[in-house]
Amino acid sequence: MRAASYPAFALTAFQSRLVYRNQVWASAFGDLVSIFARIAILTAAFAGAAQVDGITLPEMVTYALLSGPLLYWEYSRVLYDVGDAVRTGDVAVFLLKPLHYPSYLLSTHSGHFAFECVAIVVPVALIVGFTVGLLPPASLFHGLMFFPYWAVSWLILFILACLCGLLAFWLLTAFSLEWFLMAIMSLFSGAIIPLWFLPTPLATLFGYLPFAWISYYPAAVYLGKLDVTATWLHLGIGLFWLTVLSAAVLALWAKARHRLIVQGG
Amino acid sequence: MAIIAASSVEKIFRQPKRQSGFGGALRSLFSREHTEVRAVDGISFAIEGGEAAGYLGPNGAGKSTMIKMMTGILVPSSGTVEVLGREPHSNRITNAAEIGVVFGQRSQLWWDLPVRDSFDLNRHIYDIPASRFADNLARLTSMLDMAGYIDRPVRQLSLGQRMRAEIAMALLHDPKILFLDEPTIGLDVVAKDVVRKFLAEVNRERGTTIILTTHDLVDIEEICPRLIMVDDGKLLFDGELRHLRTALGSRRRLKLEFGTDPGAITLKTAQLVTDEGLAKHFLLESQQTSILDVLTELGSGHDLKDVKLEEPNIEEVIRTFYQNKPALAGARP
Repeated sequence: MRAASYPAFALTAFQSRLVYRNQVWASAFGDLVSIFARIAILTAAFAGAAQVDGITLPEMVTYALLSGPLLYWEYSRVLYDVGDAVRTGDVAVFLLKPLHYPSYLLSTHSGHFAFECVAIVVPVALIVGFTVGLLPPASLFHGLMFFPYWAVSWLILFILACLCGLLAFWLLTAFSLEWFLMAIMSLFSGAIIPLWFLPTPLATLFGYLPFAWISYYPAAVYLGKLDVTATWLHLGIGLFWLTVLSAAVLALWAKARHRLIVQGG
Repeated sequence: MAIIAASSVEKIFRQPKRQSGFGGALRSLFSREHTEVRAVDGISFAIEGGEAAGYLGPNGAGKSTMIKMMTGILVPSSGTVEVLGREPHSNRITNAAEIGVVFGQRSQLWWDLPVRDSFDLNRHIYDIPASRFADNLARLTSMLDMAGYIDRPVRQLSLGQRMRAEIAMALLHDPKILFLDEPTIGLDVVAKDVVRKFLAEVNRERGTTIILTTHDLVDIEEICPRLIMVDDGKLLFDGELRHLRTALGSRRRLKLEFGTDPGAITLKTAQLVTDEGLAKHFLLESQQTSILDVLTELGSGHDLKDVKLEEPNIEEVIRTFYQNKPALAGARP
């Protein structure tokens, strides 16, 4: 069936990234600088202390490197893809094909993400690992669980970017939404400040919002900050959020499509 | 049986009214007024399998809106559209698998990839069996002369090359109907000619039904025996191109050249429009009037040297028609 076309989109997206080699070098270099800047800030903040609130500097460095795909993946690409398709009317081209547009977006951007993992994340992790040092996972279990958490993290981030992109059907611009998403993400996801440094009520609240699965939980699981039961439980909650947000995207797409076919975009 | 049937189709768009000035912009943040635009107004037609029909009209006549309704990406405000026995918008995916669409101003090719890779993606999207895909690709590559650039990225192609690739891409899955929205827009004369000849051949040899919108009458003359002409969303003419002149009431032009100026000539069968002395231009009053009728009425002894009968230029006929529309409104077929 035509389901076979979706992996082909992922592969095409992956291939298309190879065309712009300079962009790959620029992204990898940019990410490397960003990681080293974070490490420098963390080192200064620890000021020689062995640990702060029970967290050691190597743990924080590892956290900074592994806190989800947010750091490496250009989620704004989804927003702009959808936003541009709406603004220029190119979304009609997708409707002319026997395709489901959100599934097309998912497969295309998973191709982009796979490319960024291979070309950027792994090399950056290796460089930082060899120069600064990266902690091993807390246990084999935590190391293995890091991968489904990383996948959930990317899917939640993709879906949030998709939701904002689809709002362009009503707002006709995705630009302002990118800032909105970035601001929310920085604060709630734990990308800048891990939730364990926040006051308990805030940490508890943020810990249940879907954003925490984007940055905080993948790194926290890797570092063994969640025990076995909590790791499974939070993976379940993450999947629950994923289901809810996917349903929201599908509902919004149905509404957007209806608006498009009734009002012509 | 008709494979496309439109019956009293209307499409009304509701557009927000933009108020001018800063105050207007502020007001529109809180309250929006809307205006209704009737893009398609009560259009009916039926197209049989294997036909090639041109949909002609000036900018804003509702051509693209009609194509979008037939392809299922717009829903009519009232009336019905049926394509291959189905309502296109409620069966979008099934409908999409059986039609091919080319938008002259929108690309369906992947910008950064070689043309061949875009074709290969279409193989997956339309689930085309490998052998059929290879046959179609070879045939289209040779017919559209794409061998020289099929492995080049789309962004490096000229507009003419890109349009040929777009058309090939829309035909790879052997669609029953090919919709083309202004396929020759922006192309040079050579590229236009290639596209027109190819489309006429596809329609003739493979029996693919073609619906084509255009402003360019030559597209219709070379590809489509049937013309559907619209303006302001309304149907003006539906029939063979050669009948258009009659339907629009255009008259043939007769030029009589004399050896010596015969002075003023008044005839019942033809109306004098320009008198240049030795050359006199007449418009024939009816389609039934022949040159012989005119010459008989003229009689001998006028030192007549030459006679020339001109069919009205179709483009001129249509231009005159649009310009004189208010006066001719009652003469619509």
